[in-house]
Amino acid sequence: MVFLTIFTYVALIGFVVLSAYKAYQYAKMPMHSRFELYPVPKEAGGIGDEERYHYGGSFYEEYEWHKKPRKVSHLSEIIDMLKEMLFIKILFVNNQRQWWLCYAMHLGFYVLFAWTACSFLGAVGQLVGFTVNATTGGWGTILYYITFLLGISGAILVAVGSIGMVLKRKKDAVLRKYTNPQDYFNLLFIFAVAVSGLVVWVTDPFFNYGREIFKALLTFSPIEPSIANETALAVHIVLLGLLLLYIPMTKMSHYVGKYFVFHEVIWSNDPNLKGTKTGEKVRKALQYKPKRTWSAPHISVDPRSDEAK
Amino acid sequence: MSCKDVKPQDLGKKTSEPLCTVEKLMPLPPPYDKPGMEPDFRPLKDSWKEDYCATLDGFIGVDTLKRPKTKEEEEEMIKKFLSGVDKLLSEDTNRSWIQPLMISFEYCAKCNTCSEACHIFKSSGEMEIYRPIFRSEAFRKIVTKYKKGNSFLAKFMGGDIDINIETVLRLGELAYRCNLCRRCAQTCPLGLDNGLMAKEIRKIFSMEMGIAPKPLHESGTMKQLKTGSSTGITKDAFLDLIEFLEDDIEEYTGKRYKIPIDKKGADILLIHNAGEFMAWPQNPMAFAILFEEAGLNWTMCSDDFIGYDNVNYGIWYDDVQARRIGVAQKKAAQKLGVKRIVVGECGHSHRAYMISTDRMVAPEDNIPVESCFPLMLEILKSGSIRIDPSRNNFPVTLHDPCNYVRSMGIVKPQREILKMIAPKFREMTPNGVHNYCCGGGGGFAIMNSFNFEDFRNKISSRMKFHQIVEAFQDTIEDKSIPKYVCAPCSNCKGALRDILEFYDATEKFNVHYDGLVELILNAMPFEKPFLHFLRDEEDEF
Repeated sequence: MVFLTIFTYVALIGFVVLSAYKAYQYAKMPMHSRFELYPVPKEAGGIGDEERYHYGGSFYEEYEWHKKPRKVSHLSEIIDMLKEMLFIKILFVNNQRQWWLCYAMHLGFYVLFAWTACSFLGAVGQLVGFTVNATTGGWGTILYYITFLLGISGAILVAVGSIGMVLKRKKDAVLRKYTNPQDYFNLLFIFAVAVSGLVVWVTDPFFNYGREIFKALLTFSPIEPSIANETALAVHIVLLGLLLLYIPMTKMSHYVGKYFVFHEVIWSNDPNLKGTKTGEKVRKALQYKPKRTWSAPHISVDPRSDEAK
Repeated sequence: MSCKDVKPQDLGKKTSEPLCTVEKLMPLPPPYDKPGMEPDFRPLKDSWKEDYCATLDGFIGVDTLKRPKTKEEEEEMIKKFLSGVDKLLSEDTNRSWIQPLMISFEYCAKCNTCSEACHIFKSSGEMEIYRPIFRSEAFRKIVTKYKKGNSFLAKFMGGDIDINIETVLRLGELAYRCNLCRRCAQTCPLGLDNGLMAKEIRKIFSMEMGIAPKPLHESGTMKQLKTGSSTGITKDAFLDLIEFLEDDIEEYTGKRYKIPIDKKGADILLIHNAGEFMAWPQNPMAFAILFEEAGLNWTMCSDDFIGYDNVNYGIWYDDVQARRIGVAQKKAAQKLGVKRIVVGECGHSHRAYMISTDRMVAPEDNIPVESCFPLMLEILKSGSIRIDPSRNNFPVTLHDPCNYVRSMGIVKPQREILKMIAPKFREMTPNGVHNYCCGGGGGFAIMNSFNFEDFRNKISSRMKFHQIVEAFQDTIEDKSIPKYVCAPCSNCKGALRDILEFYDATEKFNVHYDGLVELILNAMPFEKPFLHFLRDEEDEF
């Protein structure tokens, strides 16, 4: 099916381009007022033995801070980022009841990324003449089983997590009140993709179809799976492709927003000092003249001006 | 309808009664768990209901948010509100905030984690309208409805709210039911900030519609811009006050200090919240004694344009006012040619000077600004003054002002000082960057219109009072032991003054409050105690 090959290309490229566009939209926004929030994990040094990132301190605790070099720990920042990315730490610490299902779904995504990578590797291997199957042994067989384990566990985690969150939102009176139709739709969409993948899996328990798809994509040839149920696979590919195109246009693109909120807003605490990059950015930002203005009476007349007096 | 059933969509419901009223407040610890230990809410007057918006929760915080009298006025108000929404969401007119705002606007997963972090929500007995996401979600609904109309897509995306005069009025009041303390943002898995959303909504009302609480705007930023201080203190009055302080200092220390004013090229320009001169003159007095005793090269500024008042209420509700004040303050310091500015014990001005206005001037005009706490710690560590901690031998607890703790990371210096001067220091729970707001944040400490004081004392400051009583549980009922809440922030002191009085905690349980520098002074070996509650009549000065 040539359509599926082309559609898959479009979906994958679309996901990347639309996500990048989203990031570009945020990146090109003007420099904003500082709005950091502590703890900031890169803040190192400190009074006593404890490092600042542990208790939420900052360089402002330092006497004559502006005369001293900043103490920054990029390692601490990376560790904090990894904890958040891999485990959704803030939700775990503050709201464990929500964390289990939310984490199941997100872990499922990560596992399916790994499954995708393994399927890709398997496809490349097969194209260059390696055997990837259950019987010949060696790396091909290991990859074969790893792909299987990742595929089935990832799909189940995503399915359970997404439908679990729908049910939880339906059942919990407070969550129900704040859930829009689109929020349900988003979760059900993810659930549908996971279930359609599981339907394909029933006829292809070792996910050969993943390698078949990548082989087709790598050789620019039609997706023609040898084992899987063609209709079920077509439905799965179309749903997944649509989801990939849809995600960057919704708040499910929080993988983009989260980068900006942490790195550009709440962890961004570089002061505006002479001779610094931040200082130069500020100078440039101050040159902007707004085209419109706000309308309240006090806006147009500065109370200190002669006109006001 | 029960308060628990209220939804953000209900902001547009036409009712003459409040959407939500207090049913059961969060209980307080002993001895405040007994009946009759706290005054009741004052009843709402009918005349207030007619003229203002009492249909949110029965409190009126915004004394300029008047009900329109005619259909035309109603339409005009809604039109202005929507035009403000447009400007808020525009890169051109909301340049300084568009990125943080849009992230918080766009990405909320509505996991409701923030609710547990909010002291107002918890203190009120979990009133639905005080849930941090209630306000933000109502605003999202309004914007979606406004931008997408009555379409299927609008409803699908949550734009299922009526935009009518009640929606606008209630949202205007609701923007002033958040202390902007940002505790909720610390717990958000996506880093989103409902406090920011509340502040941005306030901007629509102030900057587009000309509606803001009088204490913040008319008698706040406007007065400050016109006279030099939100207290109305003019340059001449300021100079008179300084003379009075010198007299008081002489009476207390036996020494005549000359408080340096407008000393060109001084190392340090010390700036206070001018409210201190009026309400707590012992604070600037203590700073003057400490700095003189430590031999610092310092000055204060009498510049007409707000060189002697560090407040900037604009950061709570109006970017234009914040910028006007911030830039004028920095210019005053520049004119004096000082090497650095040191901000006294005022939380919001710490943040205004060092964070909010940091990017409002070019780097070469941005004189370095420091907090007073590392400097005070440096003075104590240097040994240049003598300290006798036994003079502070009573229970002391520390309130962490949100503005310089959670939003600036100044956590340890004040604790290190307390360890040196207060042998019976104990922490509140939680503390540091996870502290609770005093309940006076975001402007509430100075908002006293109609029955808003009740909202503050019984709801927004309730969690702080709970923490104070908990911190002193071992001695609270022993009236012979004075207990001290160290609150190094003018607005926080204002809120604490009110709750200690409201709950009669000073009279009944000998609980007092004041700043940190006063406690340092009290530990210095002058003949008389510096803290008023330790003095007898003949020690008065």
